[in-house]
Amino acid sequence: MGTRILTVEDDERIRTAVKMALEDEGWVVEEAETGEQALEAFSRQPSDVVLIDIMLPGLDGFEVCRRMRRTSDVPIVMVTARADTHDVVAGLEAGADDYLTKPFAPKELSARIRALMRRARKPDSGTTSMHFGDLEVIPDAGVVRRAGQELHLTKTEFRLLCELASSPGRVFSREVLLERVWGYGYFGDGRLVDVHVRRLRTKIEADPANPRHVATVRGLGYKLQG
Amino acid sequence: MNEHSRTRRFGRLRVRRLGLRARITLAFALGALVLSAILATTTFALTRRNLLDQRESLVLNQAYLNAAVVRNRLPGSDIESVQSLLPSLPVPGGSRPILHFQDRWFSLTAEIGPDAIPLQLRETVAKGHPARIRFSAKGKPALAVGIPIPAAGAEYFEIVELGDLQNTLDSLGISLLGASAFTTLAGAGIGWWVSRRALRPLADVSQAAEAIAGGRLDTRLEAVADRDLGTLAASFNEMAQALQDRIERDARFASDVSHELRSPLMTLSAAVNVLETRRDEMPERAQAALDLLAVEVGRFSQLVEDLLEISRYDAGAVRLELDEIRLAEFVMQAVSASDDGRTVPVELDSELAGVVAQADKRRLMRVIANLLDNARKYGDGATGVSLRRVEEGVQIAVEDEGPGVPEDERDVIFERFARGGGAGRRGSGEGVGLGLALVAEHVRLHGGRVWVEERLDGREGARFVIELPVLGT
Repeated sequence: MGTRILTVEDDERIRTAVKMALEDEGWVVEEAETGEQALEAFSRQPSDVVLIDIMLPGLDGFEVCRRMRRTSDVPIVMVTARADTHDVVAGLEAGADDYLTKPFAPKELSARIRALMRRARKPDSGTTSMHFGDLEVIPDAGVVRRAGQELHLTKTEFRLLCELASSPGRVFSREVLLERVWGYGYFGDGRLVDVHVRRLRTKIEADPANPRHVATVRGLGYKLQG
Repeated sequence: MNEHSRTRRFGRLRVRRLGLRARITLAFALGALVLSAILATTTFALTRRNLLDQRESLVLNQAYLNAAVVRNRLPGSDIESVQSLLPSLPVPGGSRPILHFQDRWFSLTAEIGPDAIPLQLRETVAKGHPARIRFSAKGKPALAVGIPIPAAGAEYFEIVELGDLQNTLDSLGISLLGASAFTTLAGAGIGWWVSRRALRPLADVSQAAEAIAGGRLDTRLEAVADRDLGTLAASFNEMAQALQDRIERDARFASDVSHELRSPLMTLSAAVNVLETRRDEMPERAQAALDLLAVEVGRFSQLVEDLLEISRYDAGAVRLELDEIRLAEFVMQAVSASDDGRTVPVELDSELAGVVAQADKRRLMRVIANLLDNARKYGDGATGVSLRRVEEGVQIAVEDEGPGVPEDERDVIFERFARGGGAGRRGSGEGVGLGLALVAEHVRLHGGRVWVEERLDGREGARFVIELPVLGT
């Protein structure tokens, strides 16, 4: 069975057209009309990727995203009619991995999904376990521990951490991270990186307001340090 | 229009050109001048008359007394005793007695004779009437009194110089003139101050209006206690509110329309995608129809996108997401990202390598994409993009080999839904008409300029130039 995508969209025509187009792209598509239906379907049988429209009656897309994040690290793509700063950042902060604005091309969505489902990069040195102070990263196993305690990262957060960990101390520009983690070119949305770094810090830093591991290098990007 | 009314109109225009404040100041000054002039003149005239009257009655009284003395002592006197009579008469300072007796003139000093007495006075007195006359002796004011003494067959005269009085009056005049000048200046000063106070609320209104015109639609005047000004402030604020509401409503409408259009567009574009996957299974006519549909859906999406962006500008809601970008790298990326199969060469100055600008990547990308797109539609594709360091920053130029843009259209084409004249000749009407308007808005928000000119090498074609400020190297 192929990769299963759960699309949450209240507009029936959009849902039907998108389902057909995505099926043409080779994905297996399941539909949900409301947030409640989506949560129920997902708890019954988790899909590989979730596509959530932000404007939903009842539970909105942000809330659906937050609730799924409580139990799952599944890649989530938000669909918004508004590319305004607020919606995008709020969606990412609710736990989405990426976003698309309506109307998007099905091929674009396929590219996004493929990028989100890639495996984490292995360290150049070939070692299986890396230590940064009290932080331990095991790329192959998809495990991160802080002081021996396992942390729950989403797949994207984990890949971002592994990218930074592949060359500790090196400064990664937002463009490079966008390209390596999300598969975007030069013109990707830098907010993706910023919000994910923020999310990552709340999980791996003892004091996210004064990060010790993921440092911001003003005007240049981010780096990981011990 | 006749001559009269024309001059009147011009006259009014000239006064108006002075400005309200100057006019108020002028009115106060003129008022003070007129008032003080009237006061000064009246004061001067009254004082002068009082002083003269006083002096005159003094002189007259004394003269009558002296004339009585003369009348009592003169009869039977010889010339000698007449001579000695005059010095014995009490006369006020500056007063000189002259006696006409038996056709001889007697006075205290030789140089004062009958010539010193105005002829008119002599004649009147000769007729037997006492009289007095004011005249000017050697340029100085003087008073002459003549009293006939028929009982003694004599005439008694007194000449009084009024020089001292004149001096007093002169000083008084100068003082009054000074006071008038001071009052006028004070009037002007008060007028200036009053007008400034009175106009200060207007200055606030003008500042607020400027702020609103500059895009800060939420500017309001502070409430004031004064009733008249309060009304002005209230109606100004009402107007500003109405304006803001209306602009926001318009902008929201455009924004809402764009958002509402996105849903059907989503369905359309996904459905077109499904059809395109099966294009080969379709009959030829259906394929042609599908191609038309696909192109139009794409164009429609772009139009909705542009409309939404423009409505953000209208709502004043555009906030640039500024990043520090290396311009040379950025332009090369932007040009290659909008590549449609024809590679457009990018020409760079070597000194541009490290030049950094503060820019919103997405919007600046749109600027370059729109210029390339414009060249594609109206200029048979861009022939080259060049970057040049200039004093004001960096100029990015996109050239094409199309028909160029006629001089009288060079401003118009940056307006919304305007199309170059060349569009008609191509007959496709392909432009969506917001591309260049967005270029202009984006560039303006980046603090830059955009314009179109002739190609530098003199060949036919257009050269669109955007000039952006940079941070340095």
